[in-house]
Amino acid sequence: MIWSILDHAAKLSHGSSKEYNDLLELVPHFEDVLDMFLKQGEPGELFLKLLAEYTAQCLNAKKEGKKVCLTSFSVATPILYAFDVVPLCLEAYTVLGTIIFKRGTGQFLDYCCELGFTETSCSAQRGALGAFLAGLAIRPDFVVCDSPGVCDSNANSFAFASAYLDIPFYQLNYPSTLTGKRAETYHRKDFRNLIGFLEEHTGTVLNEDKLAGVIDETKRQDELICELTEFNRLIPVPVPALYDLMVYGAKTMMNGIRQFTELLESMVKKVTTKAMLSVSGSTSTREKARVLLCYIGHYTTDARFWDWLDRNDISLLGSILCTFWQESASYAKGRSEEGYRIDDGGLDAMIDSLADQMSRMPMIKSIRGPYDAPDMWLEDSLGMARLLHADFIAYFSTVGCRNTWSSVKLLTRDLEQQSIPSLLLFVDAFDDRVASWEAITGRIEEFIQVRGIMKQSGARCSA
Amino acid sequence: MMREIGDVARAVSNRYIEAWKEAGHKVVGFPCTFVPEEILHAAGILPFRLRGVGTKTLSIGDTYYGPVICSFPKCILQLAGQGDYSFLDGVIITNGCDSMRRLDECWRKAGEDIEGILPGFFYYFGVPHKVTDYSIEWFIEEIRELLGALEKHFETEITDQALHRSIEIYNNGRKLLRKLDSIRASEGISISGEDAMAIIIASSSMPREDFNTLAEMTLSHVKKSDAGMAGKKRLMIVGSANDDLDFIRLIEDSGALVVADTMCFGSKSYDDLVDEAGDPVEALARRYLSHSYCPRMFGYYKERLDYIRKKAAEVRVDGIILQNIRFCDLHGSENGIFERDLEKEGIPCMRMEREYGPLVETGRIKMRIDAFMERIG
Repeated sequence: MIWSILDHAAKLSHGSSKEYNDLLELVPHFEDVLDMFLKQGEPGELFLKLLAEYTAQCLNAKKEGKKVCLTSFSVATPILYAFDVVPLCLEAYTVLGTIIFKRGTGQFLDYCCELGFTETSCSAQRGALGAFLAGLAIRPDFVVCDSPGVCDSNANSFAFASAYLDIPFYQLNYPSTLTGKRAETYHRKDFRNLIGFLEEHTGTVLNEDKLAGVIDETKRQDELICELTEFNRLIPVPVPALYDLMVYGAKTMMNGIRQFTELLESMVKKVTTKAMLSVSGSTSTREKARVLLCYIGHYTTDARFWDWLDRNDISLLGSILCTFWQESASYAKGRSEEGYRIDDGGLDAMIDSLADQMSRMPMIKSIRGPYDAPDMWLEDSLGMARLLHADFIAYFSTVGCRNTWSSVKLLTRDLEQQSIPSLLLFVDAFDDRVASWEAITGRIEEFIQVRGIMKQSGARCSA
Repeated sequence: MMREIGDVARAVSNRYIEAWKEAGHKVVGFPCTFVPEEILHAAGILPFRLRGVGTKTLSIGDTYYGPVICSFPKCILQLAGQGDYSFLDGVIITNGCDSMRRLDECWRKAGEDIEGILPGFFYYFGVPHKVTDYSIEWFIEEIRELLGALEKHFETEITDQALHRSIEIYNNGRKLLRKLDSIRASEGISISGEDAMAIIIASSSMPREDFNTLAEMTLSHVKKSDAGMAGKKRLMIVGSANDDLDFIRLIEDSGALVVADTMCFGSKSYDDLVDEAGDPVEALARRYLSHSYCPRMFGYYKERLDYIRKKAAEVRVDGIILQNIRFCDLHGSENGIFERDLEKEGIPCMRMEREYGPLVETGRIKMRIDAFMERIG
């Protein structure tokens, strides 16, 4: 059903307005969301097309003789594509379901609990997992996750899926430190072990030419993502708020694949034009405030969050999900050991590069150790806030996030001590039964009013 | 003797710790069974398993932790903040789970606000989540780093000879606890689950030499006694950490007898021995990392299921209580699949979510246990 809706949605921009209106009947409860993407022009259309192609790829994998891997947003997909394995990303499907279905993924969240999964577990996986466990979607062949010790709630969802479906499980297990020879050696050994697992369960060996192709795309994608991040430093920010979701959403699904490169190229082109005009990326071209999310976005209630930011002229500087730690990313400058570089000089170099990339994926990099340790959450949030001139930081999460909920009070206290207004929201990004959209916007509005954050005229913009 | 053991098990501190401190010795606390106690013991330090027993409020725990967090580490933080852990000279925090590993930051930050609650030695100990040659290698290095940090801070030397001796003493303690298990598995059971749990908890709350002596005497007495346990339903407890004797008594008050468990305050802490030959650090690393009975070791569900099956058969259980502390998704979720698989094999199971700490839910828990007893009766 998700594929069918997205497939229709991806075609909407090509027809007449009559066809558009007729087709909307085929994508119920999706009208506002669609418009949000389509008004971005070419990047929005390419994103919808990418979603349709990704879901079609998942749907047709078995027919095409491909293996399907149940995996997480924190697992970089290049190594899976190098094996011709289709990554079935739980969080991506939870977001799609949350956005597309009238009542989000509520019924699947609850179905998981009927099967024995705790109701307090993370909804980021639970929303889609319910559908997969109910047999309503494609059955994965094996599981790969990389969050044990980083986010046990995440890892637990995948371990549960593996045990429930009785399918093979592989975990990349990161130590709490990121840098240094010892950690690097461990990352790389663990990653090579993953390759062994993939070889065993696909019945193939890693093809160097195929890997080189994926690496080539990955390298180009890294350059483009870094360019977009650089644009976020400008005042006003010429990057539309929705690009945040589009970049990490597409990367989660198609990192290393040509379609993602095309999307990024289109985004950079559009943002460059806006930057040359010195206008904000919002529809009004004004910028009244700049927000940085220190964790994730908010997806419930048709993903109105990004549109709400746009309508309120609040520039979104990104979230933890948009930090990938390429060596050339502006936030990685002067912190070279924390960044990674794609090296395409031979098989070993390519494998090591992907191991380094994987160990620095969103969430995996920043919350693997104590929040106030060097290279970790506090330093990353502070660095980003200063680099991007954030007016305030907001924390959205899920009720199941033990890791961040165990330290976010401390983080926001430290950020406030550094004079960065920080808003801690008790919400669930994937389940609006925890906090309604109205309650959330009410709290944000109150916060920016009380803290005097909003610039009434958007005066810093030239247009 | 049981009263003596009960006193140790029912409170955070006890007369053994007081005597130990009066003699000028050091105590280091740790929250999880993945910390090799032998290392501390070999350094002449008393290893003490951190507990939250006796907590009456969570005013401090809730200040630093967020709202949707397991009450076990919150209770530990609460007691630390109140000064109940003032006898500790050091603390080792592990990444047992997300909530537990953040005790590191919460305790440190509370220490900035409340004077004197942060021990001089405060150490984060990273434990891998999988068993491979390279993860064991990593763990060996972690243990060596911990060993070096202890030597430096406490100005002591931990020799291989001392480690071998400590391993032997701890193995002896484990053997005694396994003997206790075999008594509980026998036909004419003569010890309640509450008393058995008190003995097990005491093992990590007092000097191990004293414990071994006390346990030996207690077990010889138990064998001779007849406590009239015949005819009771035999239950096993599986799941999250529990050191609350009142919880066990509540279950047994419903006409049951708790004969076994797979909890970390229970059999997980003694069911396998450390190899006494070869390099002691390597032997400790292999033993502590390889006993994957905790769901923090992701991907080992089948091994854990087999362990429960084996134990259930050995002690001939009539039913299993699969319990978890609220927000402990690792145990809670795995309990869901245990229930599916064990029920299929004809073993009655009951899942129960509860809070750690004072039994504030006695009525609800009793009602559920009564219903379960009725089912298996």
